[in-house]
Amino acid sequence: MSEASATAPDAAPLPAAALDEIGALPGRLAATLRSLQAAADVSFGCSEKEAIHTEDKLTLYHYRPIAPSANLPPVLIVYALVNRPYMMDLQPDRSLIRRLLELGIDVYLIDWGYPDGADRYTDLNDYINGYLHRALDVVLKRHQIESTTLLGVCQGGTFSLCYAALHPERVRNLITMVTPVDFQTPDNLLSRWAQSIDVDALVAAHGVVPGEVLNAAYVSLMPFRLLQQKYVNLLEADGDQAQMDNFMRMEKWIFDSPAQAGAAFREFTRWFFQENRLLKGTLEIGGRKVDLKNIRQAVLNIYGKQDHLVPPAASIALEPLLGTADYMALGLDVGHIGMYVSGRSQRELPQAIAYWLQRR
Amino acid sequence: MASDSNPAGDWAAALQKAQADMLRQWSELGQGWARAATPAAAGAAAPAAPAGAENLARHFLQQCEQYLGVSRSLWELVTRAAAISDPEQRSRAFADGLGALQQQFAGLWAATPFGAPQAPGLGGFAGPAGFPGLGGFQGLGGFPGAGAFPGAGAFPGVGNAFAAPALGPTREQQEAWQRLVQLAARSAQAQLQVAGLWNDIIGKSLRELAERVTPRLKSGAAPGSLKEIYDLWVDSAESVYAQAARGAAFVQAQAELTNATSQLRTAQRELLEEWAKQFDLPTRSELNSIHQQLRELKAALRRT
Repeated sequence: MSEASATAPDAAPLPAAALDEIGALPGRLAATLRSLQAAADVSFGCSEKEAIHTEDKLTLYHYRPIAPSANLPPVLIVYALVNRPYMMDLQPDRSLIRRLLELGIDVYLIDWGYPDGADRYTDLNDYINGYLHRALDVVLKRHQIESTTLLGVCQGGTFSLCYAALHPERVRNLITMVTPVDFQTPDNLLSRWAQSIDVDALVAAHGVVPGEVLNAAYVSLMPFRLLQQKYVNLLEADGDQAQMDNFMRMEKWIFDSPAQAGAAFREFTRWFFQENRLLKGTLEIGGRKVDLKNIRQAVLNIYGKQDHLVPPAASIALEPLLGTADYMALGLDVGHIGMYVSGRSQRELPQAIAYWLQRR
Repeated sequence: MASDSNPAGDWAAALQKAQADMLRQWSELGQGWARAATPAAAGAAAPAAPAGAENLARHFLQQCEQYLGVSRSLWELVTRAAAISDPEQRSRAFADGLGALQQQFAGLWAATPFGAPQAPGLGGFAGPAGFPGLGGFQGLGGFPGAGAFPGAGAFPGVGNAFAAPALGPTREQQEAWQRLVQLAARSAQAQLQVAGLWNDIIGKSLRELAERVTPRLKSGAAPGSLKEIYDLWVDSAESVYAQAARGAAFVQAQAELTNATSQLRTAQRELLEEWAKQFDLPTRSELNSIHQQLRELKAALRRT
């Protein structure tokens, strides 16, 4: 027991409500522990999918249609390198992918996999002009089309912007979701911390940067809430199994962080966070300048108004950099994770995407 | 404060019971999962919890224990203050009492991966073994420390022996060890600096809590439950932390800790590689060279 709880209380009155609270605590603890144990084998993902292409650690999935086709170009979801893409299809009532399938949209997804020591030299050029390019090839050939819709999520949105600028002829529409563009907005705490990090030393020390490093940085943004209060709040579920299963899924996703290929991590940290090259127009990938003015196709930019990881200002900085007038920003009153799983997002986002696509 | 109240004996007894029950559940949890982990239990009715769920349960219990500790301390202050009839004296008693809690709260926070360093001289310390998903990650302030391999701090007397000028046939090895000692010291210093900043954050958070609660004490509307006062504490601490974490001192201290421990880790690996070479064992550098060659070969294949 902690030192704090071992001190003897002075004589003091106690409201009956607080006494009841303490009295109920053992029962709540037991109920929570039981439901936690029962949640141990909780399942993830709900939509049927087929791996149609693999290359090194990458897998390209195609989701089985569940509704008549809306006759729209297929959507290729480009997820981030950090965390795992099953967040897009977590469970039946929390799945952006499932909602899109219900609307008759054909969905593909890039799963970058778990890099290991062999990937220390994999760089951004490999990811963007290599793996992403070849995965898109597979989709285009399968549908016998010249271009299609990219839906980039978070860092995957940044990759999609780079790709669309470098290969505009292959991207028909571009959707970016919780995507950073200005990496140095004043409210971006993660960026503030990144400015003084010696990323060469960090990568030299690790080769591939462990996911735990990123996790630790993320929970450091709100440590009292994310390391302590979040778990104490479990008591309020009173052992409700559905709530606990949801919690367990989220918990697994949050800490299921792939290691980061060293070279790509170094480039992303330096070029984007420390030098803000995408915003400044000084970014080069594979020896070619990434000029966002090359993006003349329709762009839908979705951001979370409460996002503390990618603040709204970091996303909406995109508009003046583009070469298109067909730009729409859609802010939802959710946070970063809420964008994937909140009820509001589930209700509003898929319809908004489908509506936007139908008009292009 | 609610008028409906109970004597302190009930309060102490209820807390004692809650804590005893928590201990019992700790014990049962450990036994239950130990049984589940044995081959004989494979066919048992109770589901075997994977490491993730077990870690989560342990962390949950740790946090509940800390919740009881924090909210009990705060609650005692609130109830003592609330018993004072004069509103001004009431709020002053609460604020004074909070000041006395700083050391205790800093101690609670030190039990987390963000707390004070436990072993100066090591490049990082391990977080709680049951920390969910992180598996006892090493480091402080969110960034990994030196890993499992100890810095010079783990070898008593080594620091002095390697302080002498490097001379003779073992000069290079001695210089490598000297560098390790320096980096370990730099890393330890960085840890202390971050720990000092964390102590400041805890102190300011308690003062922030006082500012939030004293108006309510003055008006007689004190928090009515342990959870309410605990949530007020977390809100206060996050508010103070959000400011501090953006400050130049915190940013620089975090970066120095990360950079120092990164360099320490690399220096440790270089020493290990020297030993490995003497036994003709493969090293990270050799593997890296092979990876680089493979990468070039793949690129060449794509071009053909």
